[in-house]
Amino acid sequence: MKYFLYWGCSLEGSGANYLVSLKPVLEALEIEFEEIEDWNCCGASLSYVGARDLAIKVLNARNLALAETQGSYDIVVPCSSCYIQMLKVSQEIQEDEGLKTQINECLAEGGRIYRGNLKVRHIMDVLYNDVGPDKIKATVVKPLNGLKIAGYVGCQSVRPYGEYDSVEKPKIQDRLLEALGAEPVPFPKKMRCCGSGLFMSEMDNCMRLVADILEDAISHGAKMISTVCPMCAMNLEVYQERINKAFGTEYDIPIVYLTQLMAVTFGMDLKKEAALDYNIIPPESILKTAVG
Amino acid sequence: MGSYDPSFAKEVFENVDFGDEIKMCMQCGVCAASCPLSLQMDHSPRQIFTLIRAGKREEVLGSQAIMLCTSCYTCEVRCPRKIPVIDVMHGLANYALKHDFVPRKDTANFGGKFWDQIYRIGRIDEKDLSRRYFFAEGIIEGIKGLLGFSDIGLRLFLHKRIKPLPERKIKGIISLRKMLDKAEKMRGRGGASV
Repeated sequence: MKYFLYWGCSLEGSGANYLVSLKPVLEALEIEFEEIEDWNCCGASLSYVGARDLAIKVLNARNLALAETQGSYDIVVPCSSCYIQMLKVSQEIQEDEGLKTQINECLAEGGRIYRGNLKVRHIMDVLYNDVGPDKIKATVVKPLNGLKIAGYVGCQSVRPYGEYDSVEKPKIQDRLLEALGAEPVPFPKKMRCCGSGLFMSEMDNCMRLVADILEDAISHGAKMISTVCPMCAMNLEVYQERINKAFGTEYDIPIVYLTQLMAVTFGMDLKKEAALDYNIIPPESILKTAVG
Repeated sequence: MGSYDPSFAKEVFENVDFGDEIKMCMQCGVCAASCPLSLQMDHSPRQIFTLIRAGKREEVLGSQAIMLCTSCYTCEVRCPRKIPVIDVMHGLANYALKHDFVPRKDTANFGGKFWDQIYRIGRIDEKDLSRRYFFAEGIIEGIKGLLGFSDIGLRLFLHKRIKPLPERKIKGIISLRKMLDKAEKMRGRGGASV
């Protein structure tokens, strides 16, 4: 199985533990991947401040065009924001000839064209549907032995399209957690927004959102929260101390990427491959106790 | 009570990205009930849509709500009339900012620097984006902002989650800018802010 991997800007910065753990995990699952050469930012959700809709679409179409010249693999995206931006444009281009013409007129200014042949997919889709929980389970050498984990789905990895999971009751992350030997805990705020890219500039409003999610996960027994989105991971983890100061709470719950858990259970190096030392709230002791 | 003035609705339908989608709104309020930040908004999305029809230009374009959208898509998946609510909110915010309304100053600064960086280098480099955001209101404000954020920044740095290298342009930056300029020109009014 071979794919393009479009990991986006966050995974080279605040979401580095995602990318560091993702690569060896994919290799262990015999997934080959190729980077889209000279890719650009997807525009995420804040570009509207500086640009109208067409420019933001063109941003994503350029990446699609670059990939199409490079090969014909599906594009796999681990970041939910990049995923939704790119998926949106690729679908609209397939459905709307007029828009496709407009976009290609813009791409032509930079000597590019997108014919509309590529498929955009979230990493969860590939892990669940192409690799499958059985193969993942078979790769596990250090199962999590019933460790209670809240699989936080958030927003843009499934909404609005629900390409591979339900938009109201997603289950795939929980199935994958089970394959790793964890016990996924149900919690109603699983799909509630963390504030995403608005966190930095609307901190007071967004801290409340995160506090509610943490409270919900913890009160349902979670010892750890897993996610597949760099914005969710950042917002849920990094601001816990500030939230404690603001609301008089005592949150101290590790937030890990699902791929970090996979690396740990696949028996990989806790630092070099699972990138646990990248986490600010250390998940190491809980995980070590769980795998025994 | 003033009578309804349809001229603002017409202005929105014709000039705002996805503005004409508002025609589909049946005022059910599912968007308002689904929104994680609706309680912090001065008007819920449902109210924004009805204020547009009522011709309340200042109230809509100056509303904090249009810039408090986190793009979570909850309203959008639930809207029974399939209105792309998020695209409409973003369209309204873009239009408001171009017409000298500033519904949320900090988010306008942050989003503005965000787009500037994409236009300048083709990617987002979080540390430089944060720095430029903090200094958007001048040096004093910038130093205050940086100091206020140093607890978070330092931790991210110590845990290898800040790119050590300075921001770097993608190779195709010139051609990317040409593409973006063309797109903005085709849509009219504005152009990249750099």
